[in-house]
Amino acid sequence: MKIIRQLAFAFASAWQNFWRNLAVSVAAVMSIALILVLAGTSLLLGHALGQVLDSYRHRVSVLTISVADKTPLASVYDFGGQLQARPEVVSVRFITKDEEMRSFASDPRNQQLIEQIEGNPLPAKIEVTVTRLDDIKRIDALARQWRGSDRTDPTDYKGDFISNMVRLSTWLTIGGLGMLAVLTVASVVIVTNTIRTAVYHRRQEIELMKLVGATEWFVRGPFVVEGVMTGVIAASLALGVLLAAYRPFVQRFQAELFFLPLSYDPHFVHVLAQDLLGAGAALGAVGSYVGVRRFVRL
Amino acid sequence: MLAPKFNNRPVISFQRVWKTYPNGTDALRNISFTVPEGDLVFLVGASGAGKSSLVRLLIREEKPTRGRLFVHGQDLGSLRRRHLPHFRRQVGLVFQDFKLLPRMTVHENVAFGLQALGESKRVIALQVGLALETVGLAGMAQNYPNELSGGEQQRVAIARALVHEPPLFIADEPTGNLDPATAWEIMEVFLRINAAGVTVVMATHNREIVDATQRRVLAIERGQIVRDDHYGTYHEDHSAAGFRLR
Repeated sequence: MKIIRQLAFAFASAWQNFWRNLAVSVAAVMSIALILVLAGTSLLLGHALGQVLDSYRHRVSVLTISVADKTPLASVYDFGGQLQARPEVVSVRFITKDEEMRSFASDPRNQQLIEQIEGNPLPAKIEVTVTRLDDIKRIDALARQWRGSDRTDPTDYKGDFISNMVRLSTWLTIGGLGMLAVLTVASVVIVTNTIRTAVYHRRQEIELMKLVGATEWFVRGPFVVEGVMTGVIAASLALGVLLAAYRPFVQRFQAELFFLPLSYDPHFVHVLAQDLLGAGAALGAVGSYVGVRRFVRL
Repeated sequence: MLAPKFNNRPVISFQRVWKTYPNGTDALRNISFTVPEGDLVFLVGASGAGKSSLVRLLIREEKPTRGRLFVHGQDLGSLRRRHLPHFRRQVGLVFQDFKLLPRMTVHENVAFGLQALGESKRVIALQVGLALETVGLAGMAQNYPNELSGGEQQRVAIARALVHEPPLFIADEPTGNLDPATAWEIMEVFLRINAAGVTVVMATHNREIVDATQRRVLAIERGQIVRDDHYGTYHEDHSAAGFRLR
């Protein structure tokens, strides 16, 4: 019962102090909210970029091998079987010349060209899907060694594009983590200073608490609760701003850059809400603990 | 609330205690004395003699540099930080500047210490009521400190110290900010508390009170106890019954 009463005291005291020093509290909430908006924006951009990259990654993880016209079907199936047996290969699909032609003809943009060509100049194809982008290069080398491949244009492998994409993805991850680290430190410093101001205003009370036999955690509790409260309010504000901006941003992007596969992701909104509220509470707790620790030592 | 309970065990025991500050000043030098349960002791001496350092050691705001200091049988030099709150609850503290929280009512100021212990509202209301009654402020629970006289504010501070029912009271110049008549009223409260069996140690400059009360006097000069009179006066009185350390 005593613990519950002490918790109730910590919450009541934190709430009272938040309103009593409203100017300082509002300044802290706004500063942290701004930082969390920046952090949330970087998470949203990261997620959007991830969506685009995933889509490209899916596309480039498929290697298409052109089959020379005179290659016997038995050799094609034999090579297909060899590829399928490799652990890095997810699937192998043989596309005949006719299927390739039908697919080509189904595109309205190719109508004019279809009327001008005679016969079927398109090669049969083997479509190989691999698990990791890095594996594409190995399959490409195998295809080029295979006698049945079209000598003029054996595969659609785009080496530079893939390696550039992997590099970009790595740098974006590192950059995002670096930015989050900087923003985290800034938030902790802001909360720490806010709580120190509150501690300064209440130094006499703290001194008395210590003299009448309050434990360190009893004195510290209200400040930590206040820090968490500040962090959660700031996170809620930041979340509101980001959610209001997310859908219009995606819609505008879809309208202007229609070729990029970007879409509104409701699942990510839940993840973002959890991350921001968790981060706000954690930043508030850590910042206030650091801010009050030195002053509360008995 | 206050029931006499004497058995003359030493509540306080200083054993060759030294307090040296980082700048090399010896605030206390080789202090030894004991205070039995139920005693009332005046600490007297000029400003800077070492009274405040002694009080700070007694409430474990500081540790002795050398020697050992026991309060309620606990060695304060080796008392762990986590045990400090429990120790402080056994000591009632009263200061010259009252140290009341201006935004809280009299009731809230007195209840403050009990809230820190997580006591229930019912227990707090009962204990605060008794403490305010003991200091004669039963009708002023809802007043704020700035609505009270200096003497009344000091009574609130005494009630706050009393509310835990501590067996030891330490008062640092409790009448220093009060006029002579009010100082006497406050002293009478301390005498009532002491009569109920509570040990009282009071650092004071108030000669009239010390002389009129005729209780034990420890005189400190330059960090040393120079006089320990059992029925003493503020200044050395060769006719007083007691003993001399120097």
